[in-house]
Amino acid sequence: MPWYKSVYDWLERRIQFEGPVKEAVLHPVPKSTASWWYVFGSASLVLLILQVVTGILLGLVYMPSAAHAWISLDVLNHDLPLGWFLRAMHGWGSNFMVAVVLIHMAQVFLFGAYKFPRELTWIVGIFMLLMTLGMAFTGQVLRFDQDAYWGLGIGASIMGRVPVIGGQLVHFMLGGPIINGSTLTRFFTLHVFVIPGTLLALTGLHVWMVLKLGINEWPMPGRIVRRETYVQEYNELAHKDGIPFVPGAVWKDLFFSAAILLAVAVCAAVFGPFGPKGVPDPTIISTVPKPDFFFLWIYTVLSFLPPELETPFLLIVPPIAIAALIGLPFVAGIGEKSWWRRPVAVFSVMFLAICWAVFTQLGTYTPWSPQMNAWSGAVIPAKFLENRTPLERQGANVFQEKQCRNCHAVGGLGGQRGPALDEVATRLTEDQMIRQVLLGGGNMPAYGSALSPAETSALVRYLETLHPHYQPAAADASRQVVGQGGGVPADSTVQQGGGQTAVH
Amino acid sequence: MRPNHIVVTFLGMALPLLAGCDLPGRPKPGPEVPRPEAVTSFDTLYNENCAGCHGASGQNGSATNLANPKYQALVDDASLRDVIAHGEKGTLMPAFDIRSGGSLTGAQIEVLISGMRAHWGKGNVLAGQNPPPYKATHPGDVSKGQAVYTAACARCHGVTAQHPGPAGSILDGSFLALINEQTVRTTILAGRPDIGEPDWQGHIPGRPMTDDEVTDVSAWLIAQKPAIPGQPYPNAKPMSEHPAEARPAAVKRPTGD
Repeated sequence: MPWYKSVYDWLERRIQFEGPVKEAVLHPVPKSTASWWYVFGSASLVLLILQVVTGILLGLVYMPSAAHAWISLDVLNHDLPLGWFLRAMHGWGSNFMVAVVLIHMAQVFLFGAYKFPRELTWIVGIFMLLMTLGMAFTGQVLRFDQDAYWGLGIGASIMGRVPVIGGQLVHFMLGGPIINGSTLTRFFTLHVFVIPGTLLALTGLHVWMVLKLGINEWPMPGRIVRRETYVQEYNELAHKDGIPFVPGAVWKDLFFSAAILLAVAVCAAVFGPFGPKGVPDPTIISTVPKPDFFFLWIYTVLSFLPPELETPFLLIVPPIAIAALIGLPFVAGIGEKSWWRRPVAVFSVMFLAICWAVFTQLGTYTPWSPQMNAWSGAVIPAKFLENRTPLERQGANVFQEKQCRNCHAVGGLGGQRGPALDEVATRLTEDQMIRQVLLGGGNMPAYGSALSPAETSALVRYLETLHPHYQPAAADASRQVVGQGGGVPADSTVQQGGGQTAVH
Repeated sequence: MRPNHIVVTFLGMALPLLAGCDLPGRPKPGPEVPRPEAVTSFDTLYNENCAGCHGASGQNGSATNLANPKYQALVDDASLRDVIAHGEKGTLMPAFDIRSGGSLTGAQIEVLISGMRAHWGKGNVLAGQNPPPYKATHPGDVSKGQAVYTAACARCHGVTAQHPGPAGSILDGSFLALINEQTVRTTILAGRPDIGEPDWQGHIPGRPMTDDEVTDVSAWLIAQKPAIPGQPYPNAKPMSEHPAEARPAAVKRPTGD
């Protein structure tokens, strides 16, 4: 008997794993589930393992102290061989994990897998999703750069809006009244011990229930889930028309997981690690902090909400959303599983996906946010300065120096908070421009106290030149009347009947 | 070759490749986002702080044409440093020194000065042409300025504000309120090649302008600034000048008491 066989026998005699493991890997599954649609759960698990392994390796170098965290990431990026690749694998692994978990969830929802008897599997899955998002947020904090610093500030101000106990919650979250070293220690504990520990325990429970209850069969229109008969029907399906999980179905899982790992590695090698961006120094105000990709949609939603709706949205919507997800298997625990017979489910997923995509896309370029350095950095294209008088050129200087450009684009450069002014003269007359500049309105502040009369005149003169050559600037007809000494201007050709056929 | 050797050889080749600098994701040296005061690249500093008014590559902007070798030859480092750090009083050029409310350190201002010299200066292109100095050495004589204006400027900028020439008026009150004598002097001396304005040698046909002429016309121009510049309707009379409308009838008091 070879030596390894005797070692195996010695261990097996004492641990007795062989029976349960064989039972698990060889358990029959319905043939229809050996599908490419059933690979996302196992891919999530593989990504979780990747995150644990890369996380442990990062933990060997990372220093969870406010003074050293940023530097230790810089050391990883620049000084340790492949340190940057390790960080990139962990960062991209996190993005892929959130994405694959969400796809898994959408697939489970559309396939009706949350229905009897798998309600608890779904509910545990919801908490696993929350843990995954919690890992993403706390991980962003551990990067401890400017994004992390200001992200914490936003997190703290959200917490502070909770009625009555808001102040204590902020203190608890930050480990003090301000963002400091203990804040980082706290988030390190959450990211490395509390949340992953919980997530691993829930993952064990989730997989256990999948093994015990069987993988969800491929939904067929008309095959109704009934509490009385479902288990018997499923067992018939699995045993009569089933195949053993290994090797019948597992190879697709293995192949997809390997492909996902390869995708993470390619992204890591090509796009590199995330940050760290600038040092977390609150005295540096020339920074544009942004949340990580998967929280951009929240950033957008909060930016678009009117101020009085922010607190209700932040405090009421998340509990309702979680309650709705948890309540789902209790409300719709039986009946049709097939998406062909569940239009509301299909449209809900489409609606949420489209909303998410639109909000995320807006969050990538934040059109609501002024560009604070456009006034000095955004060039006015030469064609908008050609053939201008000295006064109009000074007006362009006013336009830049008074930072109009931070909100108003010209030639595609500048802020997008206000309308682009490339053709503003076709929309507003001189008087309307003066009024708009001095008094503001329509979401624009009043600049009357910041501009001298000469600056206003020069600015408006310049803006008056911003119209296409084929369309004149808008003019005030009453000016013409005053210019004619109060006389009424002649009728236009339309008023005179121009273009109409003469009738006799 | 045994399979193990193949694996070892493959790893031996792949790992250095992975560690090498060829992978596009490898972070570049230095921090991804440096501290603002640590930026010392001329291109970055110019494009973030100056290009908005002075134009991409120092030309075709609304403000002074910096990529003008004559301007670069005319202005000395101290003057350039002063105007960047503290702004130009009476004009729209703001102060950029961090101690004056701007965002640049002294070292960054030095980078801007040396960068402009390196990019746009072409040595002393004015050698032998005896240009008037960059800064006026004495106050201008306003009484002599108008004659100089008529001889040197009126051809393009018009005789009066009401009759602007082809290049637009420089007698407009709002325009004069936004510039100072140095703006006029710099523009006359160095010209603006990017928009076709000549230097001090091209204003009066046949001869260059003298230092006194430049000084006098600058002083005269600024003296033309109205007391209350920038009125949008300069021709509109105030209501009180129309006798019947000086005071609404309802509150009109009987005269003579």
